[in-house]
Amino acid sequence: MQDGQEFGPWLGRQLRRQNMSQAELAERLGLTRAAVSAWITGRAQPRAEMVRDIASVLGTDIATVHNRTTDAVTARPVRWYHRPAHADGGREFGNAAAFAFDADLAVLAREATQNSLDERLDTTQPVRVRFTLHELSGEHLSSFLSALKWEQLEAHYEAASESRQKVGRVLAEGLREMQETNSLLLLRVDDYNASGLTGPEYEDGRFAAVVRRQLDSHKSSDRAGGSYGLGKATLWATSRLGLVLINSTLSESHEGRTTRRLVGRLDLPWREVNGSPYAGPAWLGEADTEKDFEGVSRSWWADEKTASELWLERESAAPGTSFLIVGAHDAAGDADSLQEMHDKLSAALADNFWAAMTAGSSANAMLEASVCTMRNGSLVIPERRVDPRERHSALVRALRAYLDHETVPELTASEEVAYARVPLVVPPLRNTGRQAKGVEHQAVLLVTSADDEDQQHSRLVCMRGSRMTVMTRRPRDLGIGVDPFQAVLLAGYATGEGTEDVHAAEAFLRASEPPEHDRWGTTDELTATYPGASRRLTEFRAAMDSALREIVGRRPTRDVRGPEVLRTLLRLDIPASGGGRRADGHPVVRSVEGEVDAAGAWSLRVFLKIPPREDPWLLTPVAKFDVRSGGRPTLSWSELTAVENCRIVDGVVVIDPEVRSAAFGGVTAVGSHPVSATMAGVTVDIQKARGASA
Amino acid sequence: MNGSGVDIPDRLAHLPGAAASKHLTRGVLTGQEQPPRVALLRASAPIADQSARWECAPLRELLEEAMRRFADSRSRADAWLAPRLHATLRMSRNEAADPAIWNFLALVAAPDYVIWRHRSPAEARNGEPGSVSPVRFTGPHYNQAFARLWWAAELFRNGENYRPAEIACGNQDVLNTALRLDAIDHRPTALAMVRVLEGLSASGASRLGDRVNALCSAVNAAGSTLMYDVIAADELPDQDGLRDWIEGADSAPAVPWDRLPDGPDDGTAPRDSVETLTRLFDKFQAEAPLRIRKWQPADEPSAQGVSLHKDYV
Amino acid sequence: MNTLFPYPTLVGEIEVRVKQVRIDGKPLSLSVVSRPQRAVALHQVERPNWEDGSIDLEVTLPELELADGPWSEVACVAILTEGSTNTRVVRRLQRDRLSSTWSGSVPVLRAMHRDRATLNVSAVATVGGVAGRTIGTADEAWIIDLLARTPVRQREIEIAEADFRDGPQEWLRPFKDAPWLVETAGEMPTILLNSSFEGITQLLKGSGNPLEKAASGLVAAQIAGEAWTAMFHSAVADLELDDDGAPLIPSGWRESVLRTMLPDVLPGLALADALIEVHNRHAAGYGWAELQSQIHFAASRRAQVPKNLTTAVRAITRSQEGATR
Repeated sequence: MQDGQEFGPWLGRQLRRQNMSQAELAERLGLTRAAVSAWITGRAQPRAEMVRDIASVLGTDIATVHNRTTDAVTARPVRWYHRPAHADGGREFGNAAAFAFDADLAVLAREATQNSLDERLDTTQPVRVRFTLHELSGEHLSSFLSALKWEQLEAHYEAASESRQKVGRVLAEGLREMQETNSLLLLRVDDYNASGLTGPEYEDGRFAAVVRRQLDSHKSSDRAGGSYGLGKATLWATSRLGLVLINSTLSESHEGRTTRRLVGRLDLPWREVNGSPYAGPAWLGEADTEKDFEGVSRSWWADEKTASELWLERESAAPGTSFLIVGAHDAAGDADSLQEMHDKLSAALADNFWAAMTAGSSANAMLEASVCTMRNGSLVIPERRVDPRERHSALVRALRAYLDHETVPELTASEEVAYARVPLVVPPLRNTGRQAKGVEHQAVLLVTSADDEDQQHSRLVCMRGSRMTVMTRRPRDLGIGVDPFQAVLLAGYATGEGTEDVHAAEAFLRASEPPEHDRWGTTDELTATYPGASRRLTEFRAAMDSALREIVGRRPTRDVRGPEVLRTLLRLDIPASGGGRRADGHPVVRSVEGEVDAAGAWSLRVFLKIPPREDPWLLTPVAKFDVRSGGRPTLSWSELTAVENCRIVDGVVVIDPEVRSAAFGGVTAVGSHPVSATMAGVTVDIQKARGASA
Repeated sequence: MNGSGVDIPDRLAHLPGAAASKHLTRGVLTGQEQPPRVALLRASAPIADQSARWECAPLRELLEEAMRRFADSRSRADAWLAPRLHATLRMSRNEAADPAIWNFLALVAAPDYVIWRHRSPAEARNGEPGSVSPVRFTGPHYNQAFARLWWAAELFRNGENYRPAEIACGNQDVLNTALRLDAIDHRPTALAMVRVLEGLSASGASRLGDRVNALCSAVNAAGSTLMYDVIAADELPDQDGLRDWIEGADSAPAVPWDRLPDGPDDGTAPRDSVETLTRLFDKFQAEAPLRIRKWQPADEPSAQGVSLHKDYV
Repeated sequence: MNTLFPYPTLVGEIEVRVKQVRIDGKPLSLSVVSRPQRAVALHQVERPNWEDGSIDLEVTLPELELADGPWSEVACVAILTEGSTNTRVVRRLQRDRLSSTWSGSVPVLRAMHRDRATLNVSAVATVGGVAGRTIGTADEAWIIDLLARTPVRQREIEIAEADFRDGPQEWLRPFKDAPWLVETAGEMPTILLNSSFEGITQLLKGSGNPLEKAASGLVAAQIAGEAWTAMFHSAVADLELDDDGAPLIPSGWRESVLRTMLPDVLPGLALADALIEVHNRHAAGYGWAELQSQIHFAASRRAQVPKNLTTAVRAITRSQEGATR
């Protein structure tokens, strides 16, 4: 499947790699320099016997020259290239984009996965994303650092960490921790069935967008959604060393090759090492041989051994990219241990991508995500697919019913999913002239009962594109007493439909999102592009609420009667004002313990809570059997004993003055039991002794 | 006083409780005055259903026969009347739960029967006339003069067999005490209690009334821990059988006077369930202490109250 | 009041969820079910003559506790009861081994119910050799309301308009000159507003200027005060007695009325003591008259008479100030 590169460019690169001039090659082949130049510029092709000689001069076999899928000599030295400071002396304090984010694993999971979704290759299959936490220590750490050529970085790190800027502090902390604990955390993010980092080294393309530029959002389709220019910066932000290694398998060949395109990039602030000033990034790769970039480290086609040593080897030939974040951490601070980080990643994936991970019985999911954790090459927490149902079962149920065409118009059972359409009128573009008409898009509303475990409910989750959540709104005017529900609004491509209105709605809604892509509102772009856009959005929101109300709202009630002013004064459910205070005004039974004794009597211990006062309380304890209905039969006491803070006088419990608690014991008289004590529950109540002064 | 010569309405109607209780004057409760019939009829809402079951004449005939038969011992009328009233006034529980129908029956159709059955004797000391408690006219189902009989028949019958209901209503303590218990809403429980009562009666036990009350107390207390429904399962009544019986009211002849009528054929309680509970209740009964009666329902003349059990001794 | 049982009972909670409601086989919209209120409204305007309903339940028992405890032959039953029809329907639920929940369906036969049924769930087991012991019951029962269109738990005092003078209700004629009537004899207290009394209903709907609002509040407070007084008297008069003659706490609206008003009527007494006291005074007549001012105070407090009066006084003062300016 690998198409060989054109002969001319291939030969040119081989010469540069071997520091051989065209004249030198011509001389070794016994030809004129013009003949070689004709090959390199593509004006001519060498004859078959000449190919053998070329192979011989380049020190390789004939097949390599024929196929041109590999370089003749692969072993050019891989090294770190640190970009020298600008001649104008400007000092950049680190990668602005990276430090715009606080490193938060949840944000990383969201941004990195959204990038993978946007780069999905075969859209009939899910893109697979895997997050691997990997802690290295001891020998494993040493061999990794040596593969990484740490010796070429150390001096730069030390210099950069002396910076008083925030980036310097982060670096110093990262270095200190690595030295003190002798361990380093790697976080690898793999995707499969994605485009991979295609394109040339420096010019426009996916590779350059990620590796060379800072805020370039190279998007392959208009389905993309998130803040991906910034999104990739979260990769570097998650590394407290500012260091990310990359291995990509390309979906379209570059230089005739697709597999194991490796590169490393380090973002450091201005620093001076050995008297030379450096600014910004450093790259790990082969020294470039092209004239304009001579000496710059460029991506290289690595062998399996190198990839393995750098923990970058991919599990299959499927296209996609592996990012290895070196020195990963969670600055949000709520995930310290490996387990907590593992769980946080899983939760973030479930929360942000439950929709993309939801499959129908015939429709594949858009995304499969998993998380695993390793230590020194061994599994600690085995790889586990994130199951969106675990955290969002009601929402997943709603979407799945839609994918499977199992929705109903009205909810009658709690597992059911109601379906309705919500119109969005997309105005015509300003530049299409007066006659152009808007199109009406029918967004999809799905509603189901909330599950008992749901933390959030009764909100409307709004999605477009690859079913990414743009916002979660609290619907208005649903009326009171609505049972908790979950609702999803699918607009544009999220509907899974492909009609014209879908494209129009997707474009319209994307234009309505601010850079954070977290709401549909009026933006400069929107008003510049669409006339009357603001009103259409307002109508759209009202239509959502109205459709939702239709499904979850209570039926309008006509049995509410009487003037409100009177009804509020006659409510039976409000507790008596000040009732709580008064309840403390008299002794109450706090708890009762006891058992049926050998004689068949209840032997009880009763604990009382007493409001202290100067006079003793006189209380009559009353034991009763519990009953199915009606009055409870009172039992007689055969014995009453004081236990704490009280005396028994003629069947009356006399509580000592000024105490807060008291306890007494009592044994019921078996003859007063209407049924065997083993057959009935017993209760104890206390009443003021009759005739006793209050 | 009797109903002859009184203008009896053709059909039953619904008399709201509020309207009914306004007319329960002292004179009405002592039987010295007739309730104001026109005012009550005006306050009543007719029943739309044209079924023969709402006709007053068969009920009047039945009540007059009861007053004739039991002129000497009116409390014994209950056992005779309960199944016959139930089989004449054929209703679903939903319909019978509406107090308005009972209010109408007591205040408009047969106030004379309520007075006859429930008036206390004249006070010996000051010659005050005896009176009837208002709850016999407009009370809860276990108090109201007709509702208590209808519901006793409904709760103690076994499918179409009224015999258990007849036994139950032969004992005033069942009507006064057991009928209040939620426990008898479970049919095997109700039938097992009747079986225990039957056994006691047959063995000639003393203080039968006290024993019935003790049994009720035990069943009610043990019901707080025992789920009778689980140890003695029952089935739902067959709604088709009940509906056929109610619809048969139009063509059914008047109830027989000297043998029991047939109730709705809506299924009998499982025999095993009744037997299981009968054994349990027999044990309760044997162990239960007999209590000294502390108080009497206010409207039962005390002389009658203490002598109740004599019927069976 | 907590009850002590002569055998171990469950500590863990029993959770009950209504999953689906059907009448005559047709599933009803879930809007008839309110989980927060634990209520189901079965009344369907479109289908008033239904016969056969069913409620599908799912129940979670504290399975871990059950597995470790001394209970065997555990069963879970749903119990549908309605006092006014003496109906009690008990259904065993089936345990789903996979989800460890219990589920089943409870029939609601229209002919066996009148207006409000109660649905609860109990766990039953054999303990210490005794079969059929109730070892736990859900904390709060569900309300199945056959007459309501919306699932609400708390019933409201009814407020109805009626034409006392020329309306169909004959018994109201004698009260034709009364602006309102409080009726406590029915199942729920009812306040009848006399629509033939000119202006009363408009006044109570009173919006508009502050003076109208104040007048509306004042009248409402007076009606409510009378209603609370009447309800209190009615609740006390209807008290049922225990075996030993002690009054029982009633159910329904009577319980609400007594619980809210007794602390104001007899301050400083526990509910049970206050109930005994108020019953004794009512039954014996001794000290009943003296209690009236307390009852009046409690009722006007519920009716917010002081607050409404203050509002009215202020409104009048302000309107006079406005007039003199």
